[in-house]
Amino acid sequence: MKRMNRKSLGLWIVLLAACAAVPFVFDPENSYIVYFLFMAFTYVALSQAWNIVAGYTGQVSLGHHAFFGLGGYVIAILWSRELIGYLDPVGMLAAGCAAAILAIIVGIPLLSKLRGDYFALGTLGLGEILRLITVQGGAFTAGPTGILLPSSSFNTLTPHYLIALFLAVFALCVTWYMARSKIGLALVAIRDDEAAAAASGINILKFKVLAFAVGAFLAGLCGALQAYYLFHVEPQGFYNLNWTLYPVLMCVLGGAGTLSGPVIGAVFLCAVFELAKYALPEIHPIFSGVLIILAIMFVPKGLVGLKLSPMRGRKKGAVKISEPS
Amino acid sequence: MPVDIFFQLLINGILFGTMYGIAAIGLSLIFGTMRIIFIAQGTLIILAAYGSFWLFHLWGIDPYISILLVVPMSLILGVALYQGLFRKVARAGQFPTLLIAFGLMALLENLMFVLFTGNSRAIAIKYSSYALSVFGLNVSFVRLVAFAMAVLGTAAVTFFLKRTLMGKAVRAASESLEYAMLVGITPHTVNTVTFALGMGLAGLAGVATATTYAFDPFSGFVFGLKAMIALALGGMGNVMGALLGGIVLGVVENYGAFFLTGGWADVISYAVFLLVLMFKPEGLFSRDTSAKL
Repeated sequence: MKRMNRKSLGLWIVLLAACAAVPFVFDPENSYIVYFLFMAFTYVALSQAWNIVAGYTGQVSLGHHAFFGLGGYVIAILWSRELIGYLDPVGMLAAGCAAAILAIIVGIPLLSKLRGDYFALGTLGLGEILRLITVQGGAFTAGPTGILLPSSSFNTLTPHYLIALFLAVFALCVTWYMARSKIGLALVAIRDDEAAAAASGINILKFKVLAFAVGAFLAGLCGALQAYYLFHVEPQGFYNLNWTLYPVLMCVLGGAGTLSGPVIGAVFLCAVFELAKYALPEIHPIFSGVLIILAIMFVPKGLVGLKLSPMRGRKKGAVKISEPS
Repeated sequence: MPVDIFFQLLINGILFGTMYGIAAIGLSLIFGTMRIIFIAQGTLIILAAYGSFWLFHLWGIDPYISILLVVPMSLILGVALYQGLFRKVARAGQFPTLLIAFGLMALLENLMFVLFTGNSRAIAIKYSSYALSVFGLNVSFVRLVAFAMAVLGTAAVTFFLKRTLMGKAVRAASESLEYAMLVGITPHTVNTVTFALGMGLAGLAGVATATTYAFDPFSGFVFGLKAMIALALGGMGNVMGALLGGIVLGVVENYGAFFLTGGWADVISYAVFLLVLMFKPEGLFSRDTSAKL
């Protein structure tokens, strides 16, 4: 493991440097590749955020758009009151923390129940609640029209690109760290057999909430970046279910519960979506639904699983249906 | 608050809520036997509503007669969905089934959006605006029929579950699949029947929706979410509880909408939903708490 890591570490650094150089080689104003990679990196971070919760811990969250939207709104609200500036790291940190705090508040009661269904349902409702509160928020959230931010501060996509790259790498590092440390062992143990994990002395609730909060933190950061990119934060766009749907799809297609799965899934699907947008502009959203179904049915371990068999191979065989009712 | 408004809101709430109720019963059945949270239920209801709408719009078939077509089609769709999508992954745990349902929802929503456009549709027929006056309260005719359909649907499902052999098998499977298999019940058969039943109810709810509300391809998500709320209120895997949960939700929403401006009423119902999930996940009407595990 160690030796392989040192070799692949060099490879990663070269790849990272190449990615970081892209906006300086290509013109970020006109070049499509800068925009494409910017979106792809954002999705890598978002899918990794979902992966930590669902892939590693086995808790299917359907509310990542809530954290994404909250992150965007924290930026919009703080910036429109001039508490933070353009591309302000303090603001982004605040956005991530707000999302993480929300995740802890919602997560503790939802995750303390044994069954995962409640978690999926509750998080699905969470996005809808936040959207409605935002729409009704009056002057504070500017209602359904949303908050318009001073777009005059925009001059180039380069900083956004670099931040997105940073977020993607950060998400990868967090996942890598969590997966390798004791935390990761605990999370995977919870995913594979909750009762056995509890019997081995793992504080199940603590680890589940931790994973959920970390996932929410990352999603909040992505939302914050998107707010700095779009300059118009409105409920329909920021609390859109697609911000959950696409990362889920990328994660599942690439391979949930693996480090590289979401990266492969995100880059692959971003390319597919862009191609579909170009070739079939009307119907491309249909494909995301079809792809999710096909991916689950035919490549349940994801594209990663086609090549190597990760340790979660056991999971599919586990008869979960026999839970007492 | 005047007494007549109080009762008017109550009646509207009950009529409203039964719609959530029938959707929730379908969810409850599917959840009961397969442990699938079928979040595409609302979207399938809207699909059925479109079926009814187009039958009326293109061929002038009365929406209530279209039940004879829409419900059998929904039953067939239910069998197809189970055999095509869920059979393979039914035993693989919740992760895949939930995601397949999620994918199905996204697929159908966007498919309907492309085929039928995003325009809001509603069936306008001569009896759409009829209202009965009972003790000074106005009761919309189409909503009363929707209520009757919901009650009949529930009664039919209850009869099926309690009185027929297959129904007993379904109940046995939702109690304990392993023991049900021990006495010779085939899970796939039971699951297929349950799925068909759930979709049949979705078809019924779809026709009821088409006659009473305006809908568009994306209204299914919110409708499905409301059905989830009804299910959570009633307790998962509990047929009568699901109907009651729907009624409670409808009543809460109606009073909420009266006292607060429209949008906040939805916030309230989701807040109730979250609170119930957090603190009383076995549902408001559940008697045995062992269902919690």
